[in-house]
Amino acid sequence: MWCTRSAAERVYLARTLVSMSIYVLVTAVVSWIFAHRHPQGALVYLLAVLPTLPIFAVIASLGKYLVEEKDEFVRTVLVQCSLWATAVVLAFATCLGSLQKYVPSLNKSAGLQNYWVFVVWFLAFAAAQPLVRRRYK
Amino acid sequence: MKNRLRVLRAEKNWSQADLAERLEVSRQSVNAIETGKFDPSLPLAFRLARLFEMTIEQIFSDDASS
Repeated sequence: MWCTRSAAERVYLARTLVSMSIYVLVTAVVSWIFAHRHPQGALVYLLAVLPTLPIFAVIASLGKYLVEEKDEFVRTVLVQCSLWATAVVLAFATCLGSLQKYVPSLNKSAGLQNYWVFVVWFLAFAAAQPLVRRRYK
Repeated sequence: MKNRLRVLRAEKNWSQADLAERLEVSRQSVNAIETGKFDPSLPLAFRLARLFEMTIEQIFSDDASS
């Protein structure tokens, strides 16, 4: 059954859900601090980096899932999806960089912020799953 | 790589889910192996061979040798 989840996948989903919940909470708190408390000095750097830590945890949990998943077919599908997502992000970033360089109206301020790279990667990773799995049906 | 997995499974009257449970893999893994779209690793091939009490060569055949 396609919907049956392995123990490793259930742990991965739980880890990701916890990390994303922390991300939302930390982002909200940091945004509020920047809007209302106007931090100064080193605290600005610390607060700016803080929301990215749960994202590191999401990346780590995906890596751990790849190690812990016992089903080699599922691992193969995940690795292929990761490669597709990486290819999409590289192509997307290259294209965007070129547009920003040669199209005056698309300067850096009008472009996509760098922290969206992970979101694009994750969306491409999710979108690749049904496509990759279809190849094996 | 070709294999006789579907026939062997049918002889035992097992569904893909039954075989997947015995191998501790997902049903889609069994389906992908049966259709020849995914080649199992050597450890999984040995597990299959032990389950059907056969040698790996009796279950799988290289495309080049057929």
